[in-house]
Amino acid sequence: MDWQSWLIGTVSRALAFGTPLLWGTLGEIYTERAGVVNLGVEGMMILGAFSAFAVAQTTGHPGLGVLIAAVVGGAAAVLHAFLTVTLRANQYVSGLALSLFGLGLAGLLGRGWEGIPLRQPLPNVTIPGLSRIPVLGPMLFQGQSVLTYAGLFLAVVLWVLLYRTRWGISVRSVGESPSTADALGVNVFLVRYLCVGFGGLLAGVAGGFLSVAYRPAWTEGMTAGMGWIVIALTIFAAWDPLQAVWGAFLFGGLYHLSFRLQEFVAPELLKLMPYAFAILVLALTGLGKARRRWGAPGALGLPYTRGER
Amino acid sequence: MRLVRLVAAVMVATAVLGAVGFAQAKLKVGFIYVGPIGDYGWSHAHNLGRLIVERDLGVETVYVESVPEGEVETYIDQLVRQGCNVIFTTSFGFMDGTLAAAQRYPNVIFAHCSGFKRAPNLATYMADFYQVYYLNGLMAGALTKTGKVGYVGAFPIPEVKRHISAFTIGVREVNPNATVHVRWIYEWFNPAAAKEATEALIAEGCDVFAFTEDSPTVVQVAAEKGFPSFGHYSPMYDFAPNHVVSGQIVHWEEIYVDFLGKVKAGEYTAKNLANVDYWWLLSQKAVELGAKSGMPVNPVFEGALKAYIVDHPVFGRISVYDLVFVRLAQMGNPGITFDPFEGPVYDRKGGLQVPAGHWMSYDALITMEWAVEGVVGPWPGEP
Repeated sequence: MDWQSWLIGTVSRALAFGTPLLWGTLGEIYTERAGVVNLGVEGMMILGAFSAFAVAQTTGHPGLGVLIAAVVGGAAAVLHAFLTVTLRANQYVSGLALSLFGLGLAGLLGRGWEGIPLRQPLPNVTIPGLSRIPVLGPMLFQGQSVLTYAGLFLAVVLWVLLYRTRWGISVRSVGESPSTADALGVNVFLVRYLCVGFGGLLAGVAGGFLSVAYRPAWTEGMTAGMGWIVIALTIFAAWDPLQAVWGAFLFGGLYHLSFRLQEFVAPELLKLMPYAFAILVLALTGLGKARRRWGAPGALGLPYTRGER
Repeated sequence: MRLVRLVAAVMVATAVLGAVGFAQAKLKVGFIYVGPIGDYGWSHAHNLGRLIVERDLGVETVYVESVPEGEVETYIDQLVRQGCNVIFTTSFGFMDGTLAAAQRYPNVIFAHCSGFKRAPNLATYMADFYQVYYLNGLMAGALTKTGKVGYVGAFPIPEVKRHISAFTIGVREVNPNATVHVRWIYEWFNPAAAKEATEALIAEGCDVFAFTEDSPTVVQVAAEKGFPSFGHYSPMYDFAPNHVVSGQIVHWEEIYVDFLGKVKAGEYTAKNLANVDYWWLLSQKAVELGAKSGMPVNPVFEGALKAYIVDHPVFGRISVYDLVFVRLAQMGNPGITFDPFEGPVYDRKGGLQVPAGHWMSYDALITMEWAVEGVVGPWPGEP
């Protein structure tokens, strides 16, 4: 077993397993950047996974399935926005409720859909030309999902939007200090609704990826805790879309290695990494200057009422 | 006054009707599942058994799913309140909770799946696959080209270890130099973990796959790469018709129908279950060889298995295809004449575990922690 095959195997598996994590994390970053915590990622993902499978199986179009998954995830997130932004309910409670609700509803709707292979999965792509490059080719450009590359592209776009556009400043200001943003004429409610809804959209895609591409089948509870890794990764990425890229793929790689190295390293150790890193980041960014740069958005978790301070 | 009399009359009537109802001993059967019935694995299979019970015996059934192992007693309380007089608890981790509840409700009949603690009103039952895994192993040994067979295991517990060892004995009976490479996912159900474990085994050069996990993931991933595999628990043929060789299918209904039939007939009561333990295998038809019912070997692989001839110490020159069916008959027909763990069996550290000519006892089977020769990979709890 030479180092090249280890490298190729680890990186290519990191991309595949990291893809749903990346989509989910990008969504949660935007949600939280606008000041709303949504712990409902697991629920939105599983709703996305089921709807993608049901649509893809019925119509024969996996792409359409992913699209509907996005809509369903978005709709679930808007429900969260209604509860937390309009009704100012506790965001943590509402998010947890959304996770449980999503798991339950998807399980209920999914009765009778388990045990059926998807007739047309979302095909993997091998990029001609690039895949021939030694080492790099099989590592990055062979047999990956379209959604892997789309996720990478999206991360860059979202980073530019967040840090280099007026619109991004509005989002960040809403998350840091909604009253100031409001005073400056930013529509806090609209921004929060849009960001939370967008976050759900991406979580829906993450779930859809699981059921029509990664492992094309429906089974109840198939997200198996991935939504919680997303929450940890959002913190680990310090709410930055580009850091989410390497965060997601780092955990993808670690996850793969936890099986490759099972004889030498306790798998539990590698599995708790996302959470351990998240705690580490939380601890580090809680301190003085680091908080300004890498810390959580200032108004994260707080409902906004106009006129209150 | 009139009202009081009316109430009293109603109460008496209810009591009388209730007593009559009890005398008729109408069965209401409760099932407690550890997972969701949509898992297409363990809980799904038990639930299929429940539906057949309802259809064939005409008894009323209720179920609760996704019950955390520590909370089984709460759910038993709930089922008893709902009027259940027979309760099946279907996970090893429910064992102590079921025993405690059985002592609390001495008139309710309990049966616990896969455990070993019994009481006058608590029986145990299990449909075990080790014979079927051995038969799958024979085919895997014939089909591997690299000499490395991959196995994705759920938890390193005796049940799964027994299956892997039986499978490995089969593999090496027809391919003495082949090895079985094991990866654990430490969960009964986790498609992503099963997928990455399979990918890790593929990266190590394995080219035939078997598993213990509650989803068809391993079958799908192997088929994607063109590798043969064996289904587990539920019929998984449809997930890869060109790549699933065979597999193991369970028929819990065989046990449920038999048990409840005897309860109905008055043979089993809440007083005499202390020695009732179902350990049902091929010959009781509680388990079946195949990736779908009625198809022991996928015809796609018939040619390859018939072409693979071994020089067998007992049967002489024989194709693996024929060997599978000879062994199936030896274990499946009444009067079993063969067991996969027929001695001499050595563990992978070289210790003699089963002397020549002996079979393993039931107790030795269900507490088996060692691995046979040919198993490669981590083996937590290895003596």
